[in-house]
Amino acid sequence: MTQLVYLIPLFPLIGFLINGLGWRTIPKTAAGIIGSLAILASFVVSVGIFFEVNSPSFHGPVLVHLFDFIQTGKLYIPFTFQVDALSTLFLLIITGVGFLIHVYSTSYMHHDEGMVKYFAFLNLFVFSMLLLVLGANYLVMFIGWEGVGLCSYLLIGFWFKNRDYTNAAKKAFVMNRIGDLGFLVGMMMILFNYGTLSYGEFFGKLGTVPGALGENTYNWIAVCLFIGAIGKSAQIPLYTWLPDAMAGPTPVSALIHAATMVTAGIYMIARSSVLYNLAPFTLHIVAIIGLATAIFAATVAIKQYDIKKVLAYSTVSQLGFMFLALGVGAYTTAVFHVMTHAFFKALLFLGSGSVIHAMGGEQDIRLMGGLGKKMRITQITFLIGCLAISGIPGFSGFFSKDEILAATYAHDPILYYMALAAAMMTAFYMFRLYFLTFTGKFRGTHDQEHHLHESPSAMTIPLIVLAILSVVGGYVGLPAVISEHHALASYLSPVVSNAGEHHMAAGTEWLLMGLSSGLSVVMIIYAFTANKVPSFVPNTGLAKLLENKWYVDEIYDAVIVRPLAALSGLLDKFVEKSGIDGIVNGVGKGVRYGSDRIRMLQTGQVGFYIFVMVLGIVALFAITFFGVKL
Amino acid sequence: MKAIIAATILGIVMMFAGLQMKNKSSVVTLAIVLAFLLLGVNIWDLVATPATAPVGYFNNMLRIDRYALWFSTLMTGVTVLYTLLVGKEIQKVGVHVAEYFALIFFILCGVYILSCYNNMLMLFLGIEILSIPQYILAGSDKKNLKSSEASLKYFLMGAFSTGILLMGITLLYGATGSFNIVAYSFLQSDALNPLALGGVIFVMIALGFKVSAAPMHMWTPDVYDGSPTPFTAYMATVVKASAFFAFIRLFQVSFGSISSQWTVVLSVITAATLLIGNLTAVFQQSVKRMLSYSSIAQAGFMLFAVLAVNAVAWQGIIIYAVAYSIATIGIFTVLMKLKDYTYDGFNGLAKKEPLLAFVTTIFLFSLAGIPLTGGFMAKYYVIQAVMVQNQFLWLVIFGLLMAAISVYYYFRVIIAMYFKEGNAELHAPVTQGEKVLLVITCGLVILIGIFPQLLLSWI
Repeated sequence: MTQLVYLIPLFPLIGFLINGLGWRTIPKTAAGIIGSLAILASFVVSVGIFFEVNSPSFHGPVLVHLFDFIQTGKLYIPFTFQVDALSTLFLLIITGVGFLIHVYSTSYMHHDEGMVKYFAFLNLFVFSMLLLVLGANYLVMFIGWEGVGLCSYLLIGFWFKNRDYTNAAKKAFVMNRIGDLGFLVGMMMILFNYGTLSYGEFFGKLGTVPGALGENTYNWIAVCLFIGAIGKSAQIPLYTWLPDAMAGPTPVSALIHAATMVTAGIYMIARSSVLYNLAPFTLHIVAIIGLATAIFAATVAIKQYDIKKVLAYSTVSQLGFMFLALGVGAYTTAVFHVMTHAFFKALLFLGSGSVIHAMGGEQDIRLMGGLGKKMRITQITFLIGCLAISGIPGFSGFFSKDEILAATYAHDPILYYMALAAAMMTAFYMFRLYFLTFTGKFRGTHDQEHHLHESPSAMTIPLIVLAILSVVGGYVGLPAVISEHHALASYLSPVVSNAGEHHMAAGTEWLLMGLSSGLSVVMIIYAFTANKVPSFVPNTGLAKLLENKWYVDEIYDAVIVRPLAALSGLLDKFVEKSGIDGIVNGVGKGVRYGSDRIRMLQTGQVGFYIFVMVLGIVALFAITFFGVKL
Repeated sequence: MKAIIAATILGIVMMFAGLQMKNKSSVVTLAIVLAFLLLGVNIWDLVATPATAPVGYFNNMLRIDRYALWFSTLMTGVTVLYTLLVGKEIQKVGVHVAEYFALIFFILCGVYILSCYNNMLMLFLGIEILSIPQYILAGSDKKNLKSSEASLKYFLMGAFSTGILLMGITLLYGATGSFNIVAYSFLQSDALNPLALGGVIFVMIALGFKVSAAPMHMWTPDVYDGSPTPFTAYMATVVKASAFFAFIRLFQVSFGSISSQWTVVLSVITAATLLIGNLTAVFQQSVKRMLSYSSIAQAGFMLFAVLAVNAVAWQGIIIYAVAYSIATIGIFTVLMKLKDYTYDGFNGLAKKEPLLAFVTTIFLFSLAGIPLTGGFMAKYYVIQAVMVQNQFLWLVIFGLLMAAISVYYYFRVIIAMYFKEGNAELHAPVTQGEKVLLVITCGLVILIGIFPQLLLSWI
């Protein structure tokens, strides 16, 4: 079965080709079916592979060699897929959640004229992400990495007639490129120091072969790769593209935020856990940046009014938690949170899509309220999502988040308290969103109220499935005090090596769990009392600062974008126009002049031709016998 | 060996078929069938000959090794493609269609001899078998003065270069007492007989003439421009590639040991070829004439492979020969569909025949060496061969600059097709079959660009 792994990316690729080439002729419904079936087929193969990988008879990673990609001199990079516990888990998440999002899209996008194109892009997106996780070396990962970057650009700017949307797409692309540069440099350092990009070979050499910079090599490479992860997974300082990425259709947001793209950075670091364990300094940076992002994004989310913006910042914040987990060396925990987060965040986004669908495009939660009565399924599933992300015991988010908090506590209690604060804010802003949207009285126009309806079943069924997963998804990783057997950790253990196992006293662990869940409940009650009626009074002071996202976009604009634009204006004026243009045009003119002269030699006279040839022969003989010798 | 015999017999069959068959298009069909047959014979030869043991024939005057067989097979494959794409145009050239095809089979016979010769006499024979049918083909459009002029010019200058080749062979014989090309490999660089060196230079000049290297290139534009276009397409591709294969075979096998004596001269020839080919192409108004100058420019790049005495050069020349031939035949096929051969004739082709314009763009990309096309990989290999040699960095840089210039005249066609208003006129509407063939050709160009190793898999 593992040998069939190439089928998994192949199906979405075929789907992309069919829909992409036939976007003029294929009917919308057919496009949806083709796109969804492609992902379903991949999912089925993934499940088959999962069972094989999960069986006790499976030993070590299986490498599936497809072809030699680059083979020149000493450089040899095969196009190979690696099937192991980590990649298989991601395969399941990507194809499983991806499939639900595709099904949802068939209904959500049905009124859009570009639906066929949309499904083509969606399939290409999934294809790229599958390449990313399947590659057995960093270059294949990088191809997928760039692929998702491109697809996110295409999908965020899907409604390209809107100027703001295309700007958001550009922003996402540029921010990602900055990170990609770090990834590229990291790859080149690996290649330079170890002569290979294959995971197995590289990790094998890591401990024994010190690089050109001695011990520091590890840190340098790890930092460069981490910069790539910062860009793709939207961490400080490169996170600003993710909230703007809301410009795309809502299912795309779900796909970017939950199943694909942003988890790429986590995957990359978890994949390179051997390297990061050798680079404790970098791990420390990872933890700090993750924690800072978690807190920072949570503060911003508190004061946002756009339903998707709140979710976007919550994604940034949750990604921060994952990086915190990576930073304290708990790689499996981070992957665990990726998984549970994929379930509940996809659920929340698709739920918000259902809300927006019902509201006829309205996204301001101040103008909603009381939607629960009209949309029971959306309300209940959304509530489950909120409970899960807030870490209420029994729901999946609780298990993974609690594990992160526990690992952080074992690493450094100060980090723990800060992370706890971020978790508290999560509970607050998520329930603020929930209460404002689904409870209370309707605050929109009469027209909208009349139009309110539950979404069709193609949209609600994915919601229900995801809601179920959001509840049960956490039981693969029970806390140590409840069960000694952590199914996910033991599943991943052959691939990912956690840095130092922490064993804390049972009492402490119970205390931490009680503390975080108790505080979450308190925050939910507080959110309920504080948000019965939204205020339209303009915010002042800190609240205004938060509403405007700490003015980070404006600061970037003033500090980086505008000086750069000014510099480029200057260069354009003085260097480009007078210098480079002159040289380029001069060369062109020179070539044309030379051409005009030389072509005169072609007289058409055979005698002259032979004469030139004889002259040439004489000259060549002169060079041979009297000229320079090597 | 089977292929040499088969090519001769099939050529004769073709000739007699002309007496029997009055219908031109059935002659073309027969030619296509025979070309496929010949390809089959080549493949049979290839499979039947073990990789490790080359076979010698005629007192070892021919030495059939893996390189030779594989190159012959590839060139036959290109010829099959050529007959498929161009066959219909050949029947428009004149009345003796069967004879044109017969001549092409004879040329192939020359190609096979040139790919496996082991003796200077065989080299001479091969060159002549290759050339004489070309003189006839160049003049096959008898009522056209330009065609006759091309034929005569080609013949006169060809005779001149044959003289030089014989002179070189004589000098080499005088110095070593042997015609066997392996015997020359015992020549020593530090105690080199001036006779031998003179012989090497004469042979180099004669072969340089065949591959249209400067300053022996002057016949090329006139002959290519004057010959009927279907035959220009063949001369510029298979014939030139075979001459190059002969060139590299001799200079690697025989004169590799004294390479320090001749590489400087050859580097001067290479630089001059690149310069003249590229610069002159810039000013041309006719695409056909531009292509003949560009074939000089491409020869400059192929000379890189001769210059580098190593294994990569062999791989480079094979990839270059195939990639360049396929793209050139493709572009000539499109050209023949057009009424007007100037750049203006291409104006607005993209609107009228989008597919034709698209494949033309890919062919031109390949000729210009844009990545993901065969032309890029070809240039990459030959340049790598020189870089491994670590001697002619200046020439590589110069070559890259010249490649940049080549983009100018290749892309002018693309600009005309896509960005200029106009109504490109075709002789006849392009049929579905032709479109499929062109798309396949285009696919081959891209395939080579992505997996160049495919072309090296049999050696």
